[in-house]
Amino acid sequence: MTNPDAIVIGSGPAGLAAAISLRQGGASSVLILDRDDSAGGLPRFCAHPGFGWEYTRRLEGGPRFVARLLAQLETDAVRIATSTTAIAVHPGPEVEIVGPRFGHTRIAAPVVVLATGARERPRSARLVPGRRPEFGVLNTGQLQQMVARRIPTGVKRAVVVGSEHVAFSVLATARKAGISIAAILEDGARIRSYPPAEWLARLLGTRILLKTRIEEILGRERVEGVVVRCPTGALTVPCEMVVFTGEFVPDSVLARDSGLMIDPATAGPIVDQYGRTSVPGVFAAGNLLRAIESSGWSAIEGARIGLAAARHLRSAGRWRPSGATLTNGRGVSYVVPQIWADDEIGSFLPISLRASLDHNRAQIRIVRNDEVEWRGRMQSMRIGRRLPISSDTIDALARRGGEIRIDIA
Amino acid sequence: MNSGQYDFAVIGAGVVGCAIARELSRYDCQTILIESRSDLGDGASKGNSAVLSTGADTPFGSLECRLVARGHARYFAEAPSLGLPILAIGSLTVAWNSDQLAMLTSMHADAVAAGFGDGEIVGPDFIYAKTPRLARGAVAAIWDPHEAIVDPFSTPLAYALDAVENDVEFRHSSPVTGAFRNSGIWHLETPAGNIRTGTVINCGGLWADKVDSLGGFSDFSSRPRRGQFIVYDKSARSLLDVVIKPVPTPSYRGVLVTPTVFGNVLVGPTAEDIDDPDDWRTTHEGLAALREAALRILPELGAHEVTATYCGVRPGTDRAEYRIIPRPDASWVSVAGIRSTGLSGALGIAEHVVALASGFGSHLARKSREPRPIRVPSLCSLDPRPWERTATPARADLEIVCHCEGTTLGQIESAFASPIPPRSLKALKRRTRATFGRCQGFYCGARVRMLLDEALAGRTA
Repeated sequence: MTNPDAIVIGSGPAGLAAAISLRQGGASSVLILDRDDSAGGLPRFCAHPGFGWEYTRRLEGGPRFVARLLAQLETDAVRIATSTTAIAVHPGPEVEIVGPRFGHTRIAAPVVVLATGARERPRSARLVPGRRPEFGVLNTGQLQQMVARRIPTGVKRAVVVGSEHVAFSVLATARKAGISIAAILEDGARIRSYPPAEWLARLLGTRILLKTRIEEILGRERVEGVVVRCPTGALTVPCEMVVFTGEFVPDSVLARDSGLMIDPATAGPIVDQYGRTSVPGVFAAGNLLRAIESSGWSAIEGARIGLAAARHLRSAGRWRPSGATLTNGRGVSYVVPQIWADDEIGSFLPISLRASLDHNRAQIRIVRNDEVEWRGRMQSMRIGRRLPISSDTIDALARRGGEIRIDIA
Repeated sequence: MNSGQYDFAVIGAGVVGCAIARELSRYDCQTILIESRSDLGDGASKGNSAVLSTGADTPFGSLECRLVARGHARYFAEAPSLGLPILAIGSLTVAWNSDQLAMLTSMHADAVAAGFGDGEIVGPDFIYAKTPRLARGAVAAIWDPHEAIVDPFSTPLAYALDAVENDVEFRHSSPVTGAFRNSGIWHLETPAGNIRTGTVINCGGLWADKVDSLGGFSDFSSRPRRGQFIVYDKSARSLLDVVIKPVPTPSYRGVLVTPTVFGNVLVGPTAEDIDDPDDWRTTHEGLAALREAALRILPELGAHEVTATYCGVRPGTDRAEYRIIPRPDASWVSVAGIRSTGLSGALGIAEHVVALASGFGSHLARKSREPRPIRVPSLCSLDPRPWERTATPARADLEIVCHCEGTTLGQIESAFASPIPPRSLKALKRRTRATFGRCQGFYCGARVRMLLDEALAGRTA
């Protein structure tokens, strides 16, 4: 195989959009790798609408959205290798792969884009006690795959843990699989998703138990129920399945194993405003950067990083010159990008940052070298919500270098 | 061939039962290994710390101490030829204050007196050179270079495969529900019919008291002890390359922090006396205590994700010692009270039990030919992956199914093709590690389920 101009690792929205704009930016050949048996990433298992909005301005189901992206890649200049796992990105960069199609080998390319996405934290990482039945304890990702691949679950009732958007995605999946949702459990006083999600759940007759946490899983071979603790006491909810939703984490093993610098706040690679990582030639995009933004947002990141990567291909310029650092202060979970370089190679990543606390009448501040440089007011800010700061605002400040901190006062 | 009657029936395919069956396969006799569950190693053997003890942490002068020391030596001699990995990383039993230092010193003196002279007392310089990320404040430690970490799941499997390869019959899903003796022959009742045998070796583990009672014996009662564990992500493996043990108290050996051969970091166990040997539950309190201990001993663990939590139940009895009881008149050996040292002691126990049973009457002669060898595939994270083992790997060895653990389709297919194939997801996990990793099946759970369902359907069809 001749070496391509660019290798994109991961064929979800970010990876596919990156490949599209790499081509648009002039890359003559792109190789897309995906370890799964077909391209499209997680959205292809989510048939309900809501995918791609920021990128396409359409509200489509996941499979349609990724099919739309894939349709733009139907050219001989783009190859998609599925069932192909990238084991490591070596200096060069050079990607070490394993798969039935290419065997165990290394492929070099001037540009590598990591877009390996995110996954939900499993029951074990949440330290949920109880028994460990062989059947019926899983994440949304697995349930959606089982339903999409028509693997029978043999389950009538499920309990959903968590109330982020994805929890309500389970309602659609479960309906399709003939599973009724006995309850949605949420630790906090209100759901994490938006109010319409709650109305939808009520319409479907699903109970949402707030201020309720899962105490114990029951059942030896199969799940028989869960014990939950709610404000009125402990309660046993019979069910045959427990779906742990949300609490996404970047799938950054490849990035770590390849020696990329990792941000402890995001658990993803540190990037600048063009998606450049700490390793020359290696870009990163999408929910690998932090978990999680929507599929449309990830696609926009992919698109911008693809253009920057194409520019890098043409210029073969220096790699990520020094610049300002961006960090999260009080009330902010993380900031992506973490570095604002002082060169000009394309349009910026949208700033991705989230509140880590609930605030009423919040004031967002941008602090540079300990001086408050910018203030923004908001009525209220809920935990997990995105903070509205534009890339241009950051750019104006960050071009002067220094240490920039974003916090909520 | 077998006339429907065996010389030995080993009840219980835990690590001890499997080792005894393997030991018996070296002799001219007919042996059957009977397991109530669908897979071997599915009781006490599946939930331990996977540290191979030298015996230096068992009561000196006890049968347990002697057999664990012997088991450790035999494991080092025999496990490699079975394909089982041994990482001899050594252990540090760490004292954090002057009281513990005094105990450590007397432990060491006792160990030397008992013939365990290889452990040495080391100071902070040695400790922190060996394990720089350990929490500050260690005063001294006993460094035991011979303690090792091993694969607790492949070990009983290798013993059983070896036994089966050497003419032992293995019968799974066969709970023994009754036993009577007629004209010197034991009749063991199982759902698929009676099994006739000259001698019974009860390796019932957590249920050894129940099996004994079927034979009419009641010398001990079970006192199961539950131990919970937390497994940290492989990203934590670089924090530690030695087993860290606390100074034990008389009743509790304490929480250890250790790498695993699979490339994780393991913390545990707790010690909780429970009434029901089937009470395999983790608890808030248990997991919280382990997390607290983990961060106290290796603070940087806090930055790493938890991959799994599990518990094991240790087969204790009303006395803190092995209860290996030969009953020559009844041709019955009870092998009970193996506590927490079954994995380490199994090969020593096997030798001891077969020697006891061979004294029951008819002479037990060693087979004249060499045993046929078997090998299990290594699941050790440091060993070459399937696609690295040859220059031209087969297609199935290039197709990774479980990405967290790097399990290939080839590994899964060869597990199903084994003489003792997996019949459940947990059995498949133990043989291949598929879905055992950090995502716990988020990506491959559906596909692995499909592969399992297909294999099971194919087997019954």
